[in-house]
Amino acid sequence: MERQQIIDTLKSILLSADPAKRDSLDAIEENSNLTSDVGLSSIGMLYMILAIEETFSMRFDNVGMNDFVTLGDVVDYIEKKLK
Amino acid sequence: MKKTFADYQSPELFSSIRAFGTTSEMWENCLMKYADSPAIVYDGQTHTFSELEADAAILRTALLGAGLKAGDRVSVFAPNSYEFVKAFLAVSTSGMTAAVIPAQLDEMSLFGVTMKFSAKAILYAPVLEGKLNIAKAKGIPCISTDAAAEKGSPINKNVKPEDGCAIMFTGGTTGKSKGALLSNRAVMQGTANGCYGLEVVYGQRYLLAIPLSHVFGLIRNLLTSLYTGSALFICKDNKDLFRDIAMFRPTMLVVVPALAEMALALSRRFGKNMLGEDMKYIICGAAAVAPYLVTEYEKMGIHLCPGYGLTETANLVSGNPDFLAKPDSVGLLYPNQEVKIVDGELWLKGANLMDGYVGDPEENAAAFEDGWFKTGDLVRFDDEGFLYITGRKKELIILDNGENISPAEVEAFFNKIELVQDSQIFEAVDENGKHYLSLEVVPRMTEIAKLGAEKPMEVLMAELVKVNQSLPAYERAQKIVIRETDFVRTPSMKIIRYKLEKN
Repeated sequence: MERQQIIDTLKSILLSADPAKRDSLDAIEENSNLTSDVGLSSIGMLYMILAIEETFSMRFDNVGMNDFVTLGDVVDYIEKKLK
Repeated sequence: MKKTFADYQSPELFSSIRAFGTTSEMWENCLMKYADSPAIVYDGQTHTFSELEADAAILRTALLGAGLKAGDRVSVFAPNSYEFVKAFLAVSTSGMTAAVIPAQLDEMSLFGVTMKFSAKAILYAPVLEGKLNIAKAKGIPCISTDAAAEKGSPINKNVKPEDGCAIMFTGGTTGKSKGALLSNRAVMQGTANGCYGLEVVYGQRYLLAIPLSHVFGLIRNLLTSLYTGSALFICKDNKDLFRDIAMFRPTMLVVVPALAEMALALSRRFGKNMLGEDMKYIICGAAAVAPYLVTEYEKMGIHLCPGYGLTETANLVSGNPDFLAKPDSVGLLYPNQEVKIVDGELWLKGANLMDGYVGDPEENAAAFEDGWFKTGDLVRFDDEGFLYITGRKKELIILDNGENISPAEVEAFFNKIELVQDSQIFEAVDENGKHYLSLEVVPRMTEIAKLGAEKPMEVLMAELVKVNQSLPAYERAQKIVIRETDFVRTPSMKIIRYKLEKN
């Protein structure tokens, strides 16, 4: 799967978690901070992880909230798992 | 016409619910009725009530062997796990008081609160052993939940309802972290309260996904599950929540609104009920519950019951049996409480009320008046006796994930930055009604000038983001603004805090 496809899917997951964020999600980039730019709470992060697992049919290993600072970190992780 | 819980349950079921006087008494009753039933499922292992008692009995021996006796306080330091359950039961059925310490605290805080609560020892899960260095160096006895003994010690039958059972962390009415001392009577009333108003009570399958260091997890989830002879599945990692649900098929879920919302959003996205077909009830509280959650879950055949409670009231003040008719209410008052409304604020007395904050005379003086506990919540009752929360007097911020934020404590981290003169963290609401944490900062211009940087505010913002990132996830601001003007202040120069008004 192309990197851009992963990013688009991630944006759609984040949008379904919180439709109110449509405007800010349009503007996010790979180096956007998940907390201060995307506005993800701890439960929002959990939503993202569960939805990624279901969507990409993959399992996260033992990762913590602090392992992912930017959107790009999540994309890197998914890319690595899908290889 | 006032309603009572008896209107919503069969007479047999309603009359079967009783609050025991002590944890010891309740636990003996559980062992008599449910000895061979599964009590706890954790990490792939099922523990029956009698197996749990055998393990708790060994720990009672370890506690007594360390020279502890009934009436002593013991810090219980364990994450959500079987170790926590046996440790809490061992301490409380020995007639000791469990000071329940959140597992995320660092070693200095663990030592600090153990001292503040006058706990004589720490009973810890081995996984947290790395955080004991300071306590050990200061000579506090530390006992592992893996401690072995040849023989178990019996349940202490001499515990009295007024004896201390648990000390629970709370932000309380002023937002400063402190410990609420709950008697056996209070904890047992809270435990029984969890049974009122539901059509099914006994022999359920509960799933735990919220911290046992919070009253909602400890009392409504763990203790009510044990009291009703139900099995409790303890989620080791919430990341595995839905895999655990598929395997364990829970019938009861006790969660904060944000988790219920998350499960609903995922169910919609993937077009299936992510909570499983066996789920009957979601007990939802610890933060304001959006009424649409009630109606949306009903469409999935799940009753979501909003409730209201405080750490200081052993969790449960009111709960909602008629959730469909009144989804915006937090329900009817549980028994054995007295209430009055003073200037719109709810004041309480009753069996479930704490004895007070431990070692905090100033906080106690602020929280109590003539024996009444001032909740800080603004409320109203309707004609049928249903309670509605209309606002909050206290400074504490309660997020929709149930986390309590003390603004002053979080601001202190930002105020340590030399470039910051003052800061204010507050609850804001976006255009869709979603609540989030926001931070506003007044720069210290003398320090900013010293920087000599081309874009000094970007330097400040980078510092703020760094500090924000270092905080526990639930305390992080989701929006940061650097102000051009000072905050509005009182004559004594105190910041006038932003207030979130509720309808």
